[in-house]
Amino acid sequence: MTEQHILRAFDRDLETIQAQLMKMGGMVETAILEASSALEARDDELAQKVRSADKAIDAMEERINEEAARLIALRAPIATDLRMVLSVMKIAGSLERIGDYAKNMAKRSVLLAQMPTVGSAGGSLRRMSKAVVGMLSDALDAHVSRDADLARDVLNRDREIDQMYNALFREFLTHMMEDPRNITACMHLHFIAKNIERMGDHATTIAEQVIYLVTGVMPEEDRPKADSVTSHGVDGAQS
Amino acid sequence: MNDMRVSESAVGAQDVKISARKVQVFYGENHAIKDVDVEILDRTVTAFIGPSGCGKSTFLRCLNRMNDTIPICRVEGDIMLDGEDIYDRRVDPVQLRAKVGMVFQKPNPFPKSIYDNVAYGPRIHGLTRNKAELDEVVEQSLRRAALWNEVKDRLHAPGTGLSGGQQQRLCIARAVATSPEVLLMDEPCSALDPIATAQVEELIDELRANFSVVIVTHSMQQAARVSQKTAFFHLGNLVEYGETGDIFTRPQDPRTESYISGRIG
Ligand SMILES: Nc1ncnc2c1ncn2[C@@H]1O[C@H](COP(=O)(O)OP(=O)(O)OP(=O)(O)O)[C@@H](O)[C@H]1O
Ligand SMILES: [Mg+2]
Repeated sequence: MTEQHILRAFDRDLETIQAQLMKMGGMVETAILEASSALEARDDELAQKVRSADKAIDAMEERINEEAARLIALRAPIATDLRMVLSVMKIAGSLERIGDYAKNMAKRSVLLAQMPTVGSAGGSLRRMSKAVVGMLSDALDAHVSRDADLARDVLNRDREIDQMYNALFREFLTHMMEDPRNITACMHLHFIAKNIERMGDHATTIAEQVIYLVTGVMPEEDRPKADSVTSHGVDGAQS
Repeated sequence: MNDMRVSESAVGAQDVKISARKVQVFYGENHAIKDVDVEILDRTVTAFIGPSGCGKSTFLRCLNRMNDTIPICRVEGDIMLDGEDIYDRRVDPVQLRAKVGMVFQKPNPFPKSIYDNVAYGPRIHGLTRNKAELDEVVEQSLRRAALWNEVKDRLHAPGTGLSGGQQQRLCIARAVATSPEVLLMDEPCSALDPIATAQVEELIDELRANFSVVIVTHSMQQAARVSQKTAFFHLGNLVEYGETGDIFTRPQDPRTESYISGRIG
């Protein structure tokens, strides 16, 4: 639907919430990247910045929801317009959750900075974060350009994140078995890995919203989960 | 969550009440309805939507042979009510219109009292046995049309002396007084305030328990609120017909989408 509304103020309202969502997306991408840099570089100051930036992300979600509620009340959107507003609200919710995970990662990185390093996990986690940021930014681009193919591509990439998580999980397990003094640090690192994996799930949810926006139907839930963790007898807890 | 329909408005498996096949309508040279196939379900509210002049009123009038009264109008194709051809020579249009009632786009009360306007149908069709029964039908009909409280003290005043919105509700009362099986309503709320509109919508929803209602409306919100099925007409064609919940969340035809969402199509 690229045609304009006869009532041009309606288009302006829709553009406004779209722009706000993209701004929020940018804030969340920055939070993930900075949290992972802070972790790898043991940079407390950067970690602190991520933690305080989360408040702005939360405030942004609230603003988007208010704007969307106003648009529903005043413009009574239907069809694509309705799906657009609904998708913006749901995506803002997912972004807010991702922001929380980034904040949690920053919190743990401050604690980890006081412990001896374990293996090369910092680098692996940064790569995993980068992959998630890639999914997220593609999902958001797909939202702006109404590109269902790009969104489907994001869905497929969630598998890679799951695999990275599983590999890290095994690595942490090895470190812990080698030397029980590694357990505290490894537990924190494991939670971080799990959080990044959850971010990937939220990026996937966003991509699903894009598919719903473009096609009017939610994609089928048939993505195979590359999750072998449960077979280790441990259910990955979060934060 | 791949379905956002409100479950209440979802349509069960209803019987077909009216079945139209290959309907064409001509006003002289003007081809106003082109090859329309549609099945109107029993116990269901069906909304006809579409831009001005697309043929909604014309098609609606085919369903109770109101077009017979327009000399230059020619109707082709089949329209079956409960499996019987309503254009069959043996069908009496007056009897048909008692079964398939109609409320017009412009209120058209008879130049008679409020009471007589409503009593007219039950009288000519002999639906009541005595004055008390007729009084009862008149009161019930006026109540259903959300007009009773405003007119109960002046039932013998002329119907034409009511306000536009009141006249429209009087016509609704007149149409429901014969307990039609199908009620055709052409923009019944265009002259009504929000309260009277809500009351008429409530009436429509009530009627759906027993009857089939077809409503032409220019209000997308009204179509979404009251109907379970929606038909979108464009330039004499039936472009899209489906569950109201689907039409308003994921219309299949770009012409439907542009129209309902207020875009330059
Ligand atoms: N009595 C008539 N005589 C001649 N032409 C007519 C008559 N009634 C309708 N038409 C023509 O038939 C076409 C369809 O008109 P119709 O009244 O069915 O449209 P509509 O969809 O009900 O429009 P609106 O929303 O404005 O009421 C138009 O081109 C109109 O000019
Ligand atoms: Mg009309």
